Amino acid sequence: MTYLRLKKGHDIGIAGIPEKTYIEAGSVKSVALLPNEFLYVKPKLLVKEGDMVKCGDPLFIDKQNPNIKWASPGGGIVSKIQFGPRRVVQSIEITLDEEESYAQYDAISIADSDRQKLIDKILEMNLWPLIRQRPFNKIADPKDTPKSIFISGCNTAPLAGDNNYILDGCDEAFNVGLALLAKLTEGDVHLAIHEDANSTSLTSNDNVRIHRINGPHPVGNVGILIYHMDPLNPHEVVWTCEPQHVLTLGRAFLTGKYDPAMTITIGGPSIENPGYIKTRVGAPVETLSQGNIKEGNHRLIRGDVLTGKAITNVPYLGLYDTSLSCIPESHERTFIGWLKPGSSKRIYSLMQTYFGSNSSQFSFSTLLQGGKRALIPFNAWEDVLPMDILPNPLYRAILAQDIDEMEKLGILEVVEEDVALCSFACPSKIDLGGAIRQGLDQIVKED
Amino acid sequence: MKFIKRLHDQIRPKFEDGGSWHVMHPLFEAWDTFMFNTDEQTETGPHIRDSVDIKRVMIIVVVALLPATIFGILNTGYQEALAAGLHRTWIANFLSGLQLFVPIVLVSYATGGFWEVLFSIVRKHKVDEGFLVTGLLIPLIMPATIPLWQVVVATSFGVVIGKMIFGGTGMNIFNPALTARAFIFFAYPGNISGDKVWVAAIDGFSGATALSVPAGQISQHAVTLLDSIKQFDFSWFNMFMGWIPGSIGETSTLMILIGALILVGTKVGSWRVMVGGVIGLVLTAVIMNLAAPYSTNSMLTIPSHYHLVMGGFMFGIVFMATDPVSACYTNGGRWIYGILIGFLTVIIRSVNPAYPEGTMLAILLMNAFSPLIDYFVVQRNIKKRVARYAQ
Repeated sequence: MTYLRLKKGHDIGIAGIPEKTYIEAGSVKSVALLPNEFLYVKPKLLVKEGDMVKCGDPLFIDKQNPNIKWASPGGGIVSKIQFGPRRVVQSIEITLDEEESYAQYDAISIADSDRQKLIDKILEMNLWPLIRQRPFNKIADPKDTPKSIFISGCNTAPLAGDNNYILDGCDEAFNVGLALLAKLTEGDVHLAIHEDANSTSLTSNDNVRIHRINGPHPVGNVGILIYHMDPLNPHEVVWTCEPQHVLTLGRAFLTGKYDPAMTITIGGPSIENPGYIKTRVGAPVETLSQGNIKEGNHRLIRGDVLTGKAITNVPYLGLYDTSLSCIPESHERTFIGWLKPGSSKRIYSLMQTYFGSNSSQFSFSTLLQGGKRALIPFNAWEDVLPMDILPNPLYRAILAQDIDEMEKLGILEVVEEDVALCSFACPSKIDLGGAIRQGLDQIVKED
Repeated sequence: MKFIKRLHDQIRPKFEDGGSWHVMHPLFEAWDTFMFNTDEQTETGPHIRDSVDIKRVMIIVVVALLPATIFGILNTGYQEALAAGLHRTWIANFLSGLQLFVPIVLVSYATGGFWEVLFSIVRKHKVDEGFLVTGLLIPLIMPATIPLWQVVVATSFGVVIGKMIFGGTGMNIFNPALTARAFIFFAYPGNISGDKVWVAAIDGFSGATALSVPAGQISQHAVTLLDSIKQFDFSWFNMFMGWIPGSIGETSTLMILIGALILVGTKVGSWRVMVGGVIGLVLTAVIMNLAAPYSTNSMLTIPSHYHLVMGGFMFGIVFMATDPVSACYTNGGRWIYGILIGFLTVIIRSVNPAYPEGTMLAILLMNAFSPLIDYFVVQRNIKKRVARYAQ
């Protein structure tokens, strides 16, 4: 066991922290898969509206990598396939049957199978998209051999769930999932858990290297963990898997079925009773949030408030979402606000330009809190990035579209979530994360 | 408040695309967001943002400049009274200083504001707040006797050549306020150097700044020379307090230090640049002191703690060198940049007999070199990464 304690970063004190109780939400009548949430994938549909599907049946494949199929998150009838601009498939919605049927696969023994056989099995069960890779944070390529696999059992994002609580009591399936992942790499499986984690499902695993971590966000981000424990070199890949997906894989290998169960948190300043919800992949957000949102206009976000997506016309959770956040939409315009001394009720800032300290329960809104300006380098970015990567030159290289320079400056070691706090803190309101993704897109395109 | 807001909402359509005054939109937008914080929304993640923006940051710099400004006004009046042999109350001194200072500030803000708005309208971008600071900095680094038309010309040069032609705040290479001062220094040296300009008084009054005292003498010790001056009190403590002739805002080290604390405490100014500058200055001054016995140059004998309180060094290193745009943008670079400014200040002061004040040129020179310093810091970061790859 090793320890990683970082000081740089910041835990945003946002109101509506999920309490450790499970909230009863309405029963889920329909689920959806959102094909355009998967980066660099060209979906080819295998179903059409009106088809009957079982839970675990493939819904679409990736044209560039036809081995990779996406399992249906529910059994029922394909009720709607929604297209966006330029025929992008936005969602495949399935109305669930009363008695859902499951696609059944032969379970195989992990211990007796070699690596290729296990990979083929995951592909066959249509669960491969659960495994993602760095760089790029895209779905892993089954032909690659990762140098290691990272699982962050400590999600430090704002309003995120505590895996120590979520995974409690799931020892067996989680262990099976880890044993499976351990066979997929020649290196180690790294499991990062919080210094105080005590659930046996997290702390007693044979097949992994356990790291106890502590510090402010983004210490629990996979990118930060990789950077400090087993940094990425050129032409290397590291695979990652969300802890609840490890559980899903473990259950699939125990039972031969896809169990799309997912525990999510619901929180944020606009939520009446923030807490945990036991639900499933692709659940409709309305069912999850009904009766739990305060009055007024609010923005619902699938994912956390830093990197999540605002819910607009596709009101379902994505495959990787483990939280649902809600913040008030504000159009308030303070009279000469830039001249006010500041108070912890109205101001939350990492630079100390206002009096008063930051609240731990601040009611953030959708306000940009200022106008967009050219970059003026006050160390705001550097102060919240716990990596020896220079964000400023990297941003300039991205603007200059200089791939060579971007790679030299370490762009392949970060994705948008690792620098999300930089965008949060930027006085010029520059979205560094968006810029990083732009740079990564360019690298993928010209590869 | 509600009345003004309603008025804004009423006239806003006229300034938007298709409105009859749409070319003036940047001006309206600047005024509108000056009165009321913008209600722009986040679009993608991060959906929530820090409360700080560039307006706030710039106003903090203005606040940090206030102690030096108020003292500067008072001292301008005080020096005037001293020269005329008058005994006036503090209030009288302050009001008299205000009479000299206010026109300069108004002219500076009006000229700079005009160029800012003109460029924003022509180039269709937002009016940026950098000029809030530049407009105050320019008067503070001028002598109180500066002719107003020269303030107009210098501010125009500083804003247009120093900033706007590069694309505005964030893109400039040189500090605009220093560019303005450098312009006057080279174009109209008689109005910003020598010993006739520092005190607003009757014609022909001659009062040298502390730095020019040892500059004019050979083979003597600087402190002895300063102590022998009867016209002004050039003791270390008095120079630290700032009751001496000089540019309006630069004289009081104490007031500048208060500003420095505000800048560092709010994380607006880089303490690395400031500390680096002081280290560079002190070390170089010590070396010069060691070399002094081998030369007839009296400037070499100035002790390092005198260098700190004489001339414009403190003002420059706290308010000019820390301009984040023209300074280095890497932390390692900021140290080197600061140290070299301190070093060059002493070198120019000591080795250039024609002009004993070195801070302005030292900072401008390092502004030019800051991209090079950053380049080396970035290369070091890259080399470290490549070395890791090789393992």
